Amino acid sequence: MMPDLQQVGEGQTQQWAPNVTAPVVLLENVSKTYGKIHALSEITLALSGGVTGILGTNGAGKSTLFNLLMGKLKPSSGKVKLFGTDPWKNPAPYARVGFVPEHEKMHDWMTAHGFVSLFARLNGLTREEAKSEADRVLNFVGLTDVAHKQLGRYSKGMRQRVKIAHALVNDPELIVLDEPLQGCDPLARTTIMNVIRELGKMGRTVLVSSHILHEIERITEQIVILHNGRLLALGNLHAIREKMDNIPHTISIGCENPKELAKDIINNDAVYGISFPSGDNLQIQTHNLNEVHRELPALIVDNGHKVSSIDNPDDDLESILNYLTGGLTR
Amino acid sequence: MMSPPKKDNVFRALDRKLGAVAEFTMRQYRTKLSTWVILGVGFIAIFIVVLFYVDSMQQEIEAIDNDGDSMDWDGDGYPTGQERIYGTDPDNPDSHPGTFSPPIAPDPPEKWINEDDFDWDLSARGDTTVGYDDDGDCRLSDSTQSQKDNNRNNVECDIILDYNEMMGVWAEPDSDRLVDEDPDEEKYAKEAIHRAFLLAIGKMGFVFLLGIFLPLFLATGLIREEMDNSTMHFMLAKPIARRDIFLGRIVGYLGIVWPYIIAMGLVVGIISGFAGPGDSFFRFADLGMWMAIIFATMLATLVYGMLFCALGTLWKRGIVLALPFAAWELGMAILSFGAPSASILRFSVIGWSLNIIDAASLVVWPNMALFINMGMWGGGHGAGGYWDNSLEGAGALSAFASDTGLGISPIATIVVSTFVLLFQAAVLWLVGSAIFKGKEIE
Repeated sequence: MMPDLQQVGEGQTQQWAPNVTAPVVLLENVSKTYGKIHALSEITLALSGGVTGILGTNGAGKSTLFNLLMGKLKPSSGKVKLFGTDPWKNPAPYARVGFVPEHEKMHDWMTAHGFVSLFARLNGLTREEAKSEADRVLNFVGLTDVAHKQLGRYSKGMRQRVKIAHALVNDPELIVLDEPLQGCDPLARTTIMNVIRELGKMGRTVLVSSHILHEIERITEQIVILHNGRLLALGNLHAIREKMDNIPHTISIGCENPKELAKDIINNDAVYGISFPSGDNLQIQTHNLNEVHRELPALIVDNGHKVSSIDNPDDDLESILNYLTGGLTR
Repeated sequence: MMSPPKKDNVFRALDRKLGAVAEFTMRQYRTKLSTWVILGVGFIAIFIVVLFYVDSMQQEIEAIDNDGDSMDWDGDGYPTGQERIYGTDPDNPDSHPGTFSPPIAPDPPEKWINEDDFDWDLSARGDTTVGYDDDGDCRLSDSTQSQKDNNRNNVECDIILDYNEMMGVWAEPDSDRLVDEDPDEEKYAKEAIHRAFLLAIGKMGFVFLLGIFLPLFLATGLIREEMDNSTMHFMLAKPIARRDIFLGRIVGYLGIVWPYIIAMGLVVGIISGFAGPGDSFFRFADLGMWMAIIFATMLATLVYGMLFCALGTLWKRGIVLALPFAAWELGMAILSFGAPSASILRFSVIGWSLNIIDAASLVVWPNMALFINMGMWGGGHGAGGYWDNSLEGAGALSAFASDTGLGISPIATIVVSTFVLLFQAAVLWLVGSAIFKGKEIE
């Protein structure tokens, strides 16, 4: 009847202690079905430490997997454990978890500092602790100077960084980021990737989902590939990528003057084709994605091009899936 | 020396998580235009009623000379009532107090209007004799003793009050002829209309209108809107039980709604305290009523808030589920006016809330039933009997006043009703959090 004053979670009267021998994230034969639709089938996975990329096309089950981990969905069968505790039954493990949701909606009327510090209090911090913690994490993601601006005035990339900052409160051991790079401009992308890599170096367990292979590739080599709700591959991306290089790829660049940019890019050996789908867009065909991605940033900066986006359309992942499934996905 | 870390007391613990959710909710509601529109509409609705009340308090109610003794039938300049007191013949122009030595000046006729007002003590209980024939048209008439004692209780010129304990109702006053037959219509009507206004605005304006509609619009979306906007993800990713999120959201909503109700109650209470009838410039005793109205409305918004928030959590269109409840409560509110002891009222929220107001009205205005009965009788003259004679305001007051229906003392009624309402809120909180806990959120 009484509210949970200790507020460590359901029915607990003592401070929750993680199971030190258990992996940070553990899924055992986890399935999630909606009627006849299998959003996830028979996933078994144990992760501790380092950055892991969760790759999959839209609808592959990445968000379902994260929602199971974050206690928002109840598994249809199997076990989900965070630090050895079932998050659906007990929210206590979230004291050690930070979550960056995929959804764009935020509380636009709050300032970044107000948002982060208020939600930090849900971690059990007092007002003063929460405020200094908010200062710390906003500094970590590089938003100190705009911390007192309303979220409604933030760009997409800044909002993503606020979400990441809010997830870093209380120095969590597990950080789950659902599509953190989606819709960000190149600069924000680089910043966010650096933050994620930094967290990995600090020994945190980080899960990052994406449907774009090259984003993940720039962050980590340890990947999990989901396809149609199944776990298709798990392990080092490098080995797979090497065999993929001779498959043709497309890169789409949004910029002010595509023709000028094309002149500079065509000199690159890895590029074998260029097309202009619209007035402010440029598409490059290449056999060697790695090299293009390595050269492109410098090329853009050196020649002073104004670029608004760099996208690898889905066919990167499609092709790796195609490769992994032996053509069965098409 | 290091100071020991401060221990968590209840307030520090609440400040951390529950307080954060509540503060978040309050700040969120403050930034929403819809909140202010809803509160503004409630303000306008209440104040239109208050304007009607203030206007009715300003209006003059015509004084009626029910017994005709202000008239000078014989044309000698002396009203009939004055002649009767001095024992002169009201029908003979040559017989009047002006012939006395020294001569008595004639009264203005107005003095003999409303001159025989109620001489009743409102603390009277059953089977008592009350009333005094101020103008002497009973005492001084040359009727026989038995004519002066129509009600046959061996007391001349009195009124018998009879209270039926079993039925809990007053019988029509059984009066001797021409006793308290010319009451002050204005005095009674103003008092009755004032009481009726307090009961009506307290029950229908505050407990029903504000008590149901504020939660309907402000509490139904407390959890649901966050789920639909997918901003609930931020809260659910923190180490806080969903039960406490539910409670924190309710506390935040109450943080908006309760101060509003208190402010509204005090403002309307102060206006009616000054505008209301009475000899003193402010009706301090009425503040007890306003405290009860505010308290009952606060409890109603708590219980309905829990209920509607739970319904909103249950279904996207929780407001559709909430409307039948609101209709049921309206029915129960109307039923409580006519049949306050109906047992079906126990299965409502409003029945218990209205009990608090009714009980307080009995504390602030003891023997309300006798006051209503007095006005219904209205002096006992006229052609149509009990109801037709009633003074203005008596009918309205009798419609809005009712006894508490629990058959226990007013203070006990307030205590029991408060506990029942708090229990309802606690049960609905558990039900609501169970629904929320079972919800899968995408």
